[in-house]
Amino acid sequence: MRVVVDPDLCEGNRKCELAAPEVFRVGEDELARVLIERPPEELRAKVEQAARLCPRQAIRLFED
Amino acid sequence: MTQATLHPSEIRLDDPAIFEEGRAHEVFRILRREAPVHWTPETENVKGFWSLTKYEDIVHVSRNPQIFSSERGITSFEPKEPDLNDVGTRLYGKMIITMDPPRHVRMRRLVNKGFTPRAVAAWEPHIREITNHILDGIAKKGEADFVTEVAALLPLAVICEIMGVPREDWEKMFQYTNQVLGGGDPEFQTDVPEELRGTPEGARQQINLGTAKMFQYFATKLAEHRAQPKEDLVQVLLESEVDGQKLTDEDILWFCFLLILAGNETTRNAIAGGLLALLEHPEEKQKILDNPGIMPIATEEIVRWTSPVLHMARVAKEDVEIRGVTIRKGERVVMWYPSANRDEDIFPDPYRFDVTRQPNDHIAFGIGEHYCLGANFARLEIRVMFEELFRRFPDIELAGPPARLRSTFIGGIKHLPVRFTPEA
Repeated sequence: MRVVVDPDLCEGNRKCELAAPEVFRVGEDELARVLIERPPEELRAKVEQAARLCPRQAIRLFED
Repeated sequence: MTQATLHPSEIRLDDPAIFEEGRAHEVFRILRREAPVHWTPETENVKGFWSLTKYEDIVHVSRNPQIFSSERGITSFEPKEPDLNDVGTRLYGKMIITMDPPRHVRMRRLVNKGFTPRAVAAWEPHIREITNHILDGIAKKGEADFVTEVAALLPLAVICEIMGVPREDWEKMFQYTNQVLGGGDPEFQTDVPEELRGTPEGARQQINLGTAKMFQYFATKLAEHRAQPKEDLVQVLLESEVDGQKLTDEDILWFCFLLILAGNETTRNAIAGGLLALLEHPEEKQKILDNPGIMPIATEEIVRWTSPVLHMARVAKEDVEIRGVTIRKGERVVMWYPSANRDEDIFPDPYRFDVTRQPNDHIAFGIGEHYCLGANFARLEIRVMFEELFRRFPDIELAGPPARLRSTFIGGIKHLPVRFTPEA
């Protein structure tokens, strides 16, 4: 799985960071960064939860 | 008379009485079960529309703005013969709320840095100060209309400060907002002849008149800002560029119109509806009195429970299917948020008001491209209001029934009589 955050949509609501802190961090600029672009399978559930909860639906998941 | 269960074909979601009389949840429960993709047929002058009442369907539509467009307006109402004199038609594509990507993204980015969690958090001390100033105004009376004397004033003050509207004009902004968003309610049709009040024509005229006054007000502000620059959002808009082009005056006026309306009508109703829910569920109010630290969680439940924006509409840009029902290109699709937020498939025990509910993934602020720009302000205003209200007036109680707004768009409370032990 590959994870991408759309910087045009992200408004720093931090839902991703709370759901999957291993994979997302919101920076000083209030934009989410992807820390692990291809997270391991055991983080899948957390990453999917982050994508589902993002208020602006800024997280895109691509299957390899 | 005992009321038999309604058949979906008897339900018309263009009927504001459903909301004014507080029957909406009974209707939505039937629709979610029997007709989650429901058609309200056309009338003589107004087009029919689809209604979605299931959470997952509303999320799906919200996530796909390339198919479900906002450009042709975001309410269920679409006249068969559009009149370019009517604000309902003129607003097509003009405000960020009625724009699709990519223009929506570019326009929203002009202002969204002022609405992020961190930017909004910096307002907390000032919002607490405003809140206490408002509460000072009722403290010695022992009774009040909680809507006009308390709930309305906090979000109104905050959005007016953001927009640089001076205090002496706040009352005007409140009136114009009511005349536009509450223009279908006879109480706010003060500019139209008596015989038209309560009619569709009365609503049409009042909404147009309220809009004209708001535009006139901000047109004057633009001239003032050009003569002498100020530090507010109007100035930001005046200096902004999109794709190397300055915004037109028309762009800026629509932006101001939207921000004032959206900034004060919605949170007002979350605060008023939240107090009503807490007073109707005293055990829940007691939990907050015992532990004000739960207010962030309680705030989410207040927003879920009240869902002040009743709907947003989209127009299908191609033929699509939802739950096996074909929606034709050009047809309107209406997303009912109060229904999504009581969906039995998402929320355990959805009709229970529970200020400790977690998780609480309500979509009262929408989701996706058009997620409420002011959500962080709304949350902060609601939380601080109840922290201060219950600190100062823990025994506040209802002194009469609420008066609900006649609208299918805004779940409004116009008046809410309360009483409490006055401060010495």
